[in-house]
Amino acid sequence: MKKLLQASLALSLSAVPASAAELTLITAGDQNMVDYVNEYLAPLFEEQNPGNTVRAVGTGPGDAGSQKILERFEAQKQADAKVWDTDVAVVHEKFVGPMVEAGYLDNYRDRIATGGLVTRSNADMALGANVKGYVMPMFNSQTALAYNPALLPNPPKSYAELAEWAKANPKQFGYNGIKGGASGVSFVMGWIYAFGDGDADKLMNGPFEETEATKWDSAFDSLADFTTHATLTPGNAGTLDLLSRGEIAVGPVWVDMFYSWQANGQLPPEFKLVLPAPGMPGQPMHYVIPANAPNKDLAEKFVELATSAKVQAEGIVKRFNWYPGIDAKHVQAELDEATWNKLFIDVTPDDLATKGKPFPIAPYNKAILEAYERHVTN
Amino acid sequence: MPKHLLGLLLVLPALAVILLLFVVPLATSLVGAFKVEDRFGFGNFAKSFELYTSDIVFTVVIVSLSTAIIGILSVAIGGYLVLGENPRAVAILRWLYRWPLFIPFIVVGQILRTFLAKNGLMNNVLIEVGLITPLQAVSFLDWRGIVIAFVWKQTPFVALLVSGAMASVDRSTIEAARNLGASRLRILVEIIVPQVATTLMVGLVLSFVTMMSVLSVPLMINAQSPTMITADIAFRINAYGDYGVANALGLISLVASACVGWFYLRQTLRERS
Repeated sequence: MKKLLQASLALSLSAVPASAAELTLITAGDQNMVDYVNEYLAPLFEEQNPGNTVRAVGTGPGDAGSQKILERFEAQKQADAKVWDTDVAVVHEKFVGPMVEAGYLDNYRDRIATGGLVTRSNADMALGANVKGYVMPMFNSQTALAYNPALLPNPPKSYAELAEWAKANPKQFGYNGIKGGASGVSFVMGWIYAFGDGDADKLMNGPFEETEATKWDSAFDSLADFTTHATLTPGNAGTLDLLSRGEIAVGPVWVDMFYSWQANGQLPPEFKLVLPAPGMPGQPMHYVIPANAPNKDLAEKFVELATSAKVQAEGIVKRFNWYPGIDAKHVQAELDEATWNKLFIDVTPDDLATKGKPFPIAPYNKAILEAYERHVTN
Repeated sequence: MPKHLLGLLLVLPALAVILLLFVVPLATSLVGAFKVEDRFGFGNFAKSFELYTSDIVFTVVIVSLSTAIIGILSVAIGGYLVLGENPRAVAILRWLYRWPLFIPFIVVGQILRTFLAKNGLMNNVLIEVGLITPLQAVSFLDWRGIVIAFVWKQTPFVALLVSGAMASVDRSTIEAARNLGASRLRILVEIIVPQVATTLMVGLVLSFVTMMSVLSVPLMINAQSPTMITADIAFRINAYGDYGVANALGLISLVASACVGWFYLRQTLRERS
């Protein structure tokens, strides 16, 4: 009965404030995000702050999960609730801009001790929106091409080489389109960066001009042709699944998922990653604190712990194979060399610096997705 | 208290539930479909047809094809249950055919995704048995996978209704036909099916509407292009936060379902008059 009550409480969208000693965290993303909090962060936090408990609620994978969090904040703002039901939320990069602009979030970074450890520019600008101070990156994630060396000994080093190779080897490249998860979306964005007639930097940094969309036509035509030679997979996991079954030789994946699958034995250890030129996008996930969070002090303490060098090393890098959210040099000091190197064998820090790109700013992002639907899937 | 007032009072809770949980959301969604940035217009529909015409056609064709196959299979199952002469085979079939009824769509999607994949269970068995070579193995995870999932899941439902109706058909008509030397197939097609046609129709219409609304199967089996309207609706909301086009697509699938419902209503009305 107690379980049932808790479950219904967690599911309800009502703005019931949590008790002072209970910190409510909602997170977008796969189940592993909820597990990360429940199994690792929460016990650590409860140990350091006796008497307080952490309750983690997942809102589902992908943009859909973050969209739910955004709508939840919107509802509470419109209802004029003085105290909201969330202390900390973890959301995708694409959603923090709108949240900041709508005034849902608290500017807390300068108040916590770990605020100064963040150096990457994507913690200040999120897809063209200034979010400086409102977010602390939980981790950075990157997409790359995973390949099976038995079928493909010399992987293509660039998008151009890949396009040529895929034509010569039909159905050996697999990706999940744009409706089955962000690794496919990322591949498409990279394609436009590589072959679009416009300026890729403008897509990443703005400003938004509608005429820019006319410069993608030839890139999308070639992508439509490319896709007819490709295998379409059912999702992020679907691409890895087909790779492991030998049905495709190469495909875009999330680096952290790739390493996790390899660690679990779901992918053969000899599979490798390559980050093709001119680059593929990656994105951080951010910790945010709502403006009307019920336990603000506790929430700040929680984020401070979660972004401390030790937790970033142990939890983010070692357990989940994500790239750290705070500056890597603070994290490296906390880790043994083997663990650190494991993360950077195939994709070197150098690769990341030159070929790890952000996603396009939000309006371009939408425009590219819609152009894809118009040209490639229609 | 007058009797009719009491009656009204009794249905009030049910009425309120329908009004609040069904009519109001439906009306909001209908209005939302015509709303383009605070004004009313057909922009959402123009975009829906511009981007998703092939998906709309795909959805209707896939669901219609599935409905037709479900109809044939459920008549076959019901017919064998009524006319079958081997009591043991009839008993086994009666026990077996209802199983998929209790399995949710998402699980069907998951089972078939591993079963129908290029290197999935089905092809592996066929290769082991020597029926096909590894090079001939193809993945069924496209429109065929969706049809297989729908047929597998919905046939028992229609067969359950149809076999019940067939069991209550007057046996004397069947015996008379048999006495005159009709084959079992002829009895099924000419004697039994016409008598259960209404039930069959109800089952198929309900299946059609159910299949129109399934999201999990297309997402798990075929998220590629073309895909079903439901997957597009989810994508519009999740990727763009665009409820306008999602509502328009919802209305389009509602119209498709309503056509089937209208067809069915017309048929029953004609029969009654």
